[in-house]
Amino acid sequence: MPTTALPPFWLLVENHADELLRYARRLSGDDAEDIVQEAFLRGLRSYPNLKHGDHLRAWLFRITTTTAFDHSGNQREVPVAEVRGDAFEHSFDDGGFESIIETLSDANRDALRLRFVEDLAYDDIARKLGCSTAAARRRVSTAIGSLRERLT
Amino acid sequence: MSPTTEFLDKLASAAVDEGLTDVTYEYMSSPIGKLLVATTEQGVCRVAFQQEEPTGVLEELAGGIGGRVVRSATETQPVRDALAAYLEGDPTELSFPVDFSLMHSGFRRTVLEHLRKVNRGHVVTYGELARRAGSPRAARAVGTACATNPVPLIVPCHRVLPSGGGVGNYGGGPEKKVFLLELEGALLA
Repeated sequence: MPTTALPPFWLLVENHADELLRYARRLSGDDAEDIVQEAFLRGLRSYPNLKHGDHLRAWLFRITTTTAFDHSGNQREVPVAEVRGDAFEHSFDDGGFESIIETLSDANRDALRLRFVEDLAYDDIARKLGCSTAAARRRVSTAIGSLRERLT
Repeated sequence: MSPTTEFLDKLASAAVDEGLTDVTYEYMSSPIGKLLVATTEQGVCRVAFQQEEPTGVLEELAGGIGGRVVRSATETQPVRDALAAYLEGDPTELSFPVDFSLMHSGFRRTVLEHLRKVNRGHVVTYGELARRAGSPRAARAVGTACATNPVPLIVPCHRVLPSGGGVGNYGGGPEKKVFLLELEGALLA
């Protein structure tokens, strides 16, 4: 699998801060800025350990997700160490994203993984899941909605 | 909902406070155009003229020094202030520590270390600089060292001239070289 070099971190900040802020706002409302600040700092802390620069956008979405949960003080339902999803094999250490999405329905979880682990566009997610693009979008959206409910 | 300047500044200073940066950088405007200035804990590691595409420069920093490249006005402030003063004609020598991490060749680095001792108002030929670096016949390699100088202005490659006359090449463009030499009183206007 071809890999890309790690980009300068600040380009990730400039390119993705907007969408991460929108996502964090959707998950946690007013705490969005604090969450994304912390998510980027977590990203910086683990950046030297990354082996390549693939799927970093998805990686940032996962970190933002786990940061939102930690920020809310919400207890995770599955200990991080016990979780070994297939998709997780290839992913970075991002603070237990898999344990957070464990409680989602299979269909929604698979869709969210394709989005936040594989970094696929909605039509590619649809192709993988054998559903329409609209349905793929709906599954990801429902998955995020469920996460949001657990945060409020 | 773009990230505000406040958001970016807060993130940058938190990263700096926690020691999470490999390189910090900032832009500055100057009489010779927009400059990008980058520093590490060891010193100034990169000065880039506006002809160089910033993304390429940042990628060079990430690949050559470390990926945690963070834009920080405060960390780069002393260097930017001194460069601004210098470019306005302040005669103080730019004596910052330099981080030569981007310069892999030992010989080129030796050349630049010798070049650093050439003070304001003085010039040197490529051949003479080769002699000072201990390889009198390596004038061409000295030219390469100057052309790949990661910290122009601070290591004054504009003070190196061809022995045959004229100002010769300059990464930022020959007109910048003339501007700098006139600024330093090394070349008659």
